[in-house]
Parts: sequence; structure tokens; C-alpha cells
Amino acid sequence: MVQLSMAKAITAGLSRAMDRNDKVVTIGQDIGKLGGVFRITDGLQERFGARRVMDSPLAEAGIVGTALGMAQRGYVPVCEIQFDGFVFPAFDQIINQASRLRFRSRGQVTAPIVIRLPYGGNVGSIEHHGESPEAYFTPTPGLRIVTPSTPADAYELIQQAIDSPDPVIVLEPKRLYHSLKGEVDLDAPPSGELDRARVVRLGSEVTLIGYGPMVSTLLSAAKVLADEGHSAEVVDLRSIAPIDWATVETSARKTGRIVVAHEAPRTSGVGAELAARTQERCFYALEAPVLRVTGLDMPYPPSRVETDYVPSVDRVLQTVDRALAY
Amino acid sequence: MALQHYRLPDVGEGLTEATVLAWLVAEGDRIAVNDPVVEIETAKSVVELPSPYAGVVSGLLVPVGQTVEVGTALIAVEDGVGAEVAVANEAGAGAEPEAEAPEAPASQATLVGTGPRELKQTRLPRKTAGNTLAAAPPSEVDVRTLAKPSVRKLARDLGVDLAAVTPTGPDGTISQDDVTAAATQHGGWTGFLAERGETRIDVTGIRRATARAMVESAFTAPHVTEWTDVDVTRTMELLERMKTMRMFRDVRITPTVLVARAVCVALRRNPELNSSWDEKNSQIVRKSYINVGFAADTPRGLVVPVIHDADAMSTYDLAVAINELTRTAREGKTQPANLVGGTFTITNIGVFGIDAGTPILVPGQAGILAVGQITRRPWVVEDRVEPRWVTTLAMSFDHRMVDGAEGSAFLSDMAEILRDPGSTLILA
Amino acid sequence: MTSTNAWTPRIVGDASEHPDDLATGTPADGIETVQLLDAEGGAVRHPTYSPQLSADEVRDAYRTMFLARRIDVEGTNLQRQGQLALWAPAKGQEAAQIGAITALRPTDMVYPSYRELAMAMHRGLDPVAILQIMRGISHATWDVDALHFGLFAFVVGAQTLQATGYAMGVTLDGADEVVLVCLGDGATSEGHVSEALNFAAVFNAPVIFLVQNNQYAISVPNSAQFRGAPAARAAGFGMPGVRVDGNDLLAVHSVVAEAAARARAGGGPTLVEAMTYRIGAHTTADDPTRYRSREEEESWAGRDPLVRIERWLREQGTPDSYFSDLAAEGDELATDVRARVLALTPDGITELYDYVLAEPSAALVEEREQVIAYLASLEGR
Repeated sequence: MVQLSMAKAITAGLSRAMDRNDKVVTIGQDIGKLGGVFRITDGLQERFGARRVMDSPLAEAGIVGTALGMAQRGYVPVCEIQFDGFVFPAFDQIINQASRLRFRSRGQVTAPIVIRLPYGGNVGSIEHHGESPEAYFTPTPGLRIVTPSTPADAYELIQQAIDSPDPVIVLEPKRLYHSLKGEVDLDAPPSGELDRARVVRLGSEVTLIGYGPMVSTLLSAAKVLADEGHSAEVVDLRSIAPIDWATVETSARKTGRIVVAHEAPRTSGVGAELAARTQERCFYALEAPVLRVTGLDMPYPPSRVETDYVPSVDRVLQTVDRALAY
Repeated sequence: MALQHYRLPDVGEGLTEATVLAWLVAEGDRIAVNDPVVEIETAKSVVELPSPYAGVVSGLLVPVGQTVEVGTALIAVEDGVGAEVAVANEAGAGAEPEAEAPEAPASQATLVGTGPRELKQTRLPRKTAGNTLAAAPPSEVDVRTLAKPSVRKLARDLGVDLAAVTPTGPDGTISQDDVTAAATQHGGWTGFLAERGETRIDVTGIRRATARAMVESAFTAPHVTEWTDVDVTRTMELLERMKTMRMFRDVRITPTVLVARAVCVALRRNPELNSSWDEKNSQIVRKSYINVGFAADTPRGLVVPVIHDADAMSTYDLAVAINELTRTAREGKTQPANLVGGTFTITNIGVFGIDAGTPILVPGQAGILAVGQITRRPWVVEDRVEPRWVTTLAMSFDHRMVDGAEGSAFLSDMAEILRDPGSTLILA
Repeated sequence: MTSTNAWTPRIVGDASEHPDDLATGTPADGIETVQLLDAEGGAVRHPTYSPQLSADEVRDAYRTMFLARRIDVEGTNLQRQGQLALWAPAKGQEAAQIGAITALRPTDMVYPSYRELAMAMHRGLDPVAILQIMRGISHATWDVDALHFGLFAFVVGAQTLQATGYAMGVTLDGADEVVLVCLGDGATSEGHVSEALNFAAVFNAPVIFLVQNNQYAISVPNSAQFRGAPAARAAGFGMPGVRVDGNDLLAVHSVVAEAAARARAGGGPTLVEAMTYRIGAHTTADDPTRYRSREEEESWAGRDPLVRIERWLREQGTPDSYFSDLAAEGDELATDVRARVLALTPDGITELYDYVLAEPSAALVEEREQVIAYLASLEGR
């Protein structure tokens, strides 16, 4: 067991995957010599060479599109898109190609690629560097989307994503890259549960559901609630496409109250899907409507006011108060 | 004269700390804004930091070679002016005697931007009470009753009409307690359907168990029901007298108490009615103890709590036990131990305004006595027709264990005791 | 000081015999790099291009370049002092920017990328407006129509399509205007830039694509970015392409002036590749020591655009006092900008709801009320 930051855990996971399988290659802007703007691929080019760790031209569609071609040739490409706000030039390759190749060809052609995307706000940065664009991708059939909340998860998820025969978008919470350290068991083989959610705190009165950077916010809220005499269960979705409904519904039936948190705007976000399906499946078990604490329905604001945009512990607690009052 | 501190900022290279390599100024030096003051080494490279302040260096706060975290004050500069001008601090910073370095945001290493601000991991102090995230109030034009799904389901299961329930829940909604209270009052299915059509009620719990028991009993034991009308005027007079007696001052006296006493006496004289049928061993089991069950209709269905050894109790104790039994049954809190072991059952159908019926035996018992309403009826008394307190006693018995003569004997004993309570002295 | 519009060039040779000293980073692709003033301030005779700026105009241009660099340095310092989230230094690219923009009319529209501090200052944009973006106070909010200067574009290359569209609008209006769009060497790899070049050519749009090739896209050098120089690719799209010494104010000016004249006459778009160097890092978050050598940086320092103009000005008789006065003016400007930046306070987040749609939807209004109520309930707000 070692203490690693999330960034170093991802580096370790990538490295291990590249060690185990010669066909794993990585491509992205500035990932080679520089080691990536977040240093996630630090040292990898020295270790594995420029053939397997490729600095690409400045072209996101090019990165994803050529990755698909490499995959068809038998390679396992891991793409790095530099920032959430810059994924959109690659949108066509992701939506019209990566997500559909298997479907289009009835399995003759597949897209076992990984797209790594740093996301999330509250990093004090400028436009396009703090977004949460997952809701553009979650409704797309054929895509898997995962997001770690801890270094141990990050180590596991990156390897599982690489092993997956499906195209996987790994959303990496950039504000946790260097600030969050945790225990990682480098020798543990990934447990193969790419789409499993995890109950990270047991509770009985309300279920707090989140993913990525919001999980620690929910855990902090649960702690405050415990001090106030309330028992909150916290579920880390880990996979937002597909969602582990069994875990979500079990928790919903147990507590009867759900609060979802995400940084992305409210309208049509992942919270909307969670609300729709749990009320559909757990109607009589619910004691309150499913409530959401989310980013506001405006484009991501200038960083000086972003803490009013991103859900805070206080806003989560206010929403839980509301749920408990029903 | 203000002392300014330059704190180690996040220079954007993913650093959480840095090592001081060299000081480029000394204490006492006069420096200008942007003069390089210190060389620091981050995890990646060496960076020169320019002073944000002009003035005289008053202290080099970190020795060469030491590694410090972002946010640590590196150098103090006496800027020779009053309170710091034109520094935009976050709201609420206010003017402090020792002005802090202009907001060097709590860093986090992200390589882009200043990094996340420290977020409060607790509730924020409030100016005004009240939850501003409250849902919009229910629309004025709402015609439906307001109740959440789980409460609606409960209402359906209990046969409660929500339109007739007074809401006491939050936001003008009907709460679960409102529904259970309404169900207990009405005592069951009111029969009102809000809409034409069918309603399906799941058969679970007590109702299911009761149904099973009734089927078992009705289709196993051959039931014979006999009835007789009884002039119970003297029993009623006795009741009135009992109500004035000091002995019964603190206990509620009802006809049920005296009927129960009568049953105990009659069972002693007619023990066939205090038996059970053992099919397996082909035996009739005659009990010497008398455990009287009292059928009770509760919100959750029919339950038959039992008073064990009722015959050994004093009238007072019996009255207390019956009151207690009634109360707990109504609250749905009868102890499981008190629901088993009955040897004979009384069912009071008079509370429904009914005279007689054909009660179904509790499985394993030989007899069940239904007591009808006690009403004023015309009765022949010494050749005159007078209004008297009259009730009908209807008893079903298991004809395998009890033959007609025996059943009739029991019933006529009951009638005699209730007609003339004094006969108990002879019969008991 | 007596101003004179004539200047006496110190001729150092003809272009054909003057070696292209931009050896570093310039591929041996047979494409000429136009130069009119070498690194030492000596004039180069060129068969096609000649200097179009008078001495006074050069002095004015130099002043803007100098002040822009002074503010650029202040930007880096402010970031190092924790006052800005980020600063993307323009240091080293002043001649490419000022040379190009001085070849346009003040009413010609310019679409910048995100590094055009010098151009912005030339157009009269208060530098604080740029610094406030980097401070997280607001996004780009200046009056585009009044300044004829577009918003900074952080999605690399996206501005090229908008600039082309604007130029198509100019054609529809039949107006006597040209459009200049700025992009970097890295941007030329983005698909939408190719689309812009193609649209511009097909629609014969009066737009000049100024590629400031500063040799790196963050850490990626030209050799890993493309194999066909931007100037060479222009022909592939059906427009002229010219490579120019981006650190040579006079050459950039002349080349862009020619392109502007062509566009105004209905001759369509041109791609101008200005070879320059990003003296600083990509942004203050970057660490160039990881991917480029000190030697390379030093050799480009010898081609500094400000140095060669200063040399040229001194040779033309500009006294010391001019430079010390200018330095003082720069410091005064920087101090003022610094003070105003530090005094900036952001609008509350609820103000921003006014800018989501032209008229906010009912749901937005409701959300805004809730946020206002929530924030108002907190102490200290």
C-alpha cells in the first residue's frame, strides 16, 4: 500500500496497463515530453518510448478518430483530451463513430478505446477549463462513462477502462488530481467491476448520491448530519453510464429519501435521470421527492464567483433538510 | 505604517510547496514592486518571485533550504503607508491592523488556475432562518387531496377515503398518522369509491392469516349454530348496581364482563364446550383451564386476544383484564402470547347493532358465542307485554365434539344466568 | 527631438544573398522568410517588399510594443504574486502583432486568439480588461464593435470560422474592409481551421489569416505539429501564403499591407505565417525547461523584436531620454494597471442570469430568485 495523489495513481494505473499489454498506446497533446499539462503521463514516454506515448498535433477530433483506427488495427489506445471544454471538436468521432461501431457492424468492428478527460470546476481557472460536460455523453448508447472519486478508484478504473471492450470515457476530477491523496494497493488486480457503484458511507435516513468531485462534498455533509443526529448514506456512482441501479434502488428503498449532487447544470443532468428512474421504480418507498443540488443553469461563470455555482456542503445540507421535512 | 506579508502563491506548476533556494534581498533593503526577492524551487523548476510590495524589507521569514507550503509568509515588507490601498480581498475581510497579503488564494496544485478555494465543509452561518430551498407552495387550484405516495397507498390499504381526512401534515398534506387515525375511527372499509370501477386490495398480514384460519375452521369442523333470545333486564340492573359499588369504582363495567363470568360458569357445567379436537390422535382434549378469547375488530383486521384462566379471576380482575385487552387490541398492540391458547371465544356483534349470526369457530375450539345487541323489546312478563332488555345469544359449536343436547344445555345455562344472575349461586 | 519621416537605412545586403537566419525551427522547405530588418537593425533589400512605415510610425509602433511588453511582464508578476489565475505571455511576439495591425485601418475587424495583448493595446483596449479575465472577474466583455477587436478565444482556432464569416458579411455589404484573424502554429492542426481556410477561399472572403508561429504549442514543436508549413499549405487551399520574419516589424507590416490591399481589391484571403518565438512559457502554469533548451532560448533572444527596433531607432538618432522617458511611462502605466486590477471586484453570480438568453425563461427567473434568496440568507453576503 502506498499513499498516492490521484494524478500519480492514474499514472501508476496507466503504467501498469502498458506493462501488461504491449498494445496499449497513449496519444494526446503534450503527453510525451512534457508528461501532460497535469503530469499524468509524467515519465511514461521515457519508459515506454515515443511510439507508445505519442505527442499529437492540436486536434481533438484527430486524437479520437485516429485512436479508433489504431484500435481497429489491434491496439488499445488511451486518448488524453487536455480539458473538458475542449472535448467538443471530438464530439462527432465520439458520438457518430466510437459509440456506434459495434452496433453498426453487429460486432464486426468495435471501439475498445479510452478517452481520458479532466473535468470539474472550482479550480480558479478561465473559460473551458472547469466544465462538467458529462450530460452531453450520458444519453449516448454504446458509451461507458466512469469517474473516480479517490486515488484507489482512479488506479482501478483506468485499468478497468483499458481492459474494457467498449469505448470508455474516464472523467478525471481535475481539482482532486494533486490535492487528494489516498491509499492505493498497487498490487491489487482490478476487480472487473467497471459499472459498479459503491456505498461509501452507510446510513438510514437519506441517500446522498454523487460522483467524482462531489463525493467528498457529500461525505462532509454526511458528517455534519451525523453530528446533528441524522444518518445519511452516501453512494458514489463511479459509473454514470451505465448506472448501477441495483445499488441505487436498494439504498432508495432503505432510506426513502434521495438527494443527488453534481456540478453540471441542473437541466437534463445525471440527477434528472436518477430522479426519473428512482421515482418510477421505488415510488411507494419514497417519503420525499428526489431532490437535486447542482450547478446553475448558466454557462460556467468566471472563477471569482464559481463557489456560488458549484454545490457546496451548505447547499447540500439545506437540500437534505428539505428532504427530511417531507 | 503597514507591514505586508508576501505569502508563497501557487505559481501554477502543480505545487503545494516550494523550497527557498536563495534570497535576492536582505533585511533593510529598499525594494520596489516587482523586484525579484527570492528564488524558489518547485517540484519542477526554479522560479523567481517578484515582490508585490514596495518598501523596506523588514524580515526574511524562511531560511534558505527550507521547504514551505503554499500560503506561508516568505517576506515581510514595511510599506510606509496606512492601511493597504486598493486591495481587493474577499468580502468580509475588512480592514485589519496588520494587512494580510492581497488574497493569495488557498492553493491547490492544479497546474491551471489558482486552484480550488478552501470550501467550508460545514453549514454556513445564516442571517435569516428558514430554508430558502423550500419547494414552491402547493398551487391554489389543486383539487386533489395532498398526500405523498406512501400515504396514499396506506389509505388505500386501510380503506380510508382521503377526501374525508383532515390534513395535519406539512404544507397542508395528509400525513401517515392522519390516515391511521381515520382508519381506527371508522373501523374498516367505508365502502366509498371515489371513482367507478374496481379497487384491488392486497391480502397480507393479519387479514391473510385470519382468512386462512376461517377457511380451515369452516371447512373442517361441522358447525351447528343455535340461538335463543334472553331477557337480560336483571343483568342490566346488576350492572347498574355494580357501577355504583366502590369495588368497581375505577374500572369500566360493561355487559361483556358479566357475559364472560356467565361463560365461565356455563363451561364448568358443560365442559364439552371447553375442548379441542385432536385429529392426529383421534382424541378430544378436554381442558380444565378456561381461557376466554374476545373477538376484536381492529384497523389491521380481526384479532382474538385471550384472557387466560378467566374462571380463576375475580369479577374485578376480569373487568380490568377485559378493558386492557380492548385497549391494546384497538391500538394494535396485543402481545403475541395473548393471541394464543384460547379455549372458548365470545364475539360481540351487538356493537354493530346486530342480533344474531352464525359465528365461525376459532380453529381448535369447540364453541363460539355471539352476543347480539341489548335492546328494549316487548316481552311477556307474567302474562303482560312489557318492554324489557333483551338480547339474542347465538352459539356455534363443533358437532364432532359437542352433540345437540350438550350444546343446547350450555346455551340454556347461559340464558338462565343472564336472565337471572342470582341463579349463578345455584349453578356455579 | 526633431521628428522626421525619412530614415536612412543601413543596408546590409539583398534578400537573395542575406542568409535566412531563422534557422532554428524553420524547416528547409524552400519557402522564403521575408525580412526587411535583420536582428541587428540592418536593412535588407527585398525584390518585392519594401518598408512602408515612416520613422515616426516606427517610433509609435515601438512605443506600443514597449508598453505592451511592460504590461505583459506585469501580468506575469501579478500571477507570481497570486493575483491572477493565469497569464499567457505575449513576450517576443510584439512585432508580429503590431506590424500586422498597423497595416490595417482602425475600422478593420481583428479576431484575436488569446495572446494578442499588443494588438489590443494598439486598438485602445484597456489592458485591465484582459487582466480581469485572468483574474477570474469576468470573461471577455469589451465593446467589440467600438474597438473592432474581437473577444479573446480560448478554444483554439474556433475564431477562424467566425472571422471568415464576418469577412463574408463584409463582402455581402460590399464594404471596403478587411478582416484579420490571429492563430498560432498549433491551431493550424484543428479541423475547423482547415474549414475556415477553405470557406475563405471558396467565398473569396477578405480575410487575412495571421499565423504567429511561435515555434511551440505548449510543449509540441513544429516538427511534431505538422510537416507542411502553414505558409505552404495556403496554396493547397487556393490562396497565397507568405512566410515572414515575425520579429521584423517592417517586414510583417509590408507583407500584411500587401495582403490587405489584395483583399480590398477583391483578391480574396491570404495566409501570413509570421515566424517568431514565445520567449515566455505557454502560460505561467507551464514549465518550458521540460521541452526546450537554454541555448535555443538564447539564440532567439538575439532576435528580439524590441531590441532590433531600439537599435534601429538609436541609429536614426533617437536620444537616450526617449527610452528612459518611455520606460518611466511604462512603469507608470504598469503601476496604474496593477492598482486597478487589484481593486477589481466581480459581479455577483445572479447578475449573470441576464446574459444566458436575450430574455430569461420562467425557469431561469425562478432559479435566480432562489439563488438570490439563498445567498441573502448567508452571513457575510
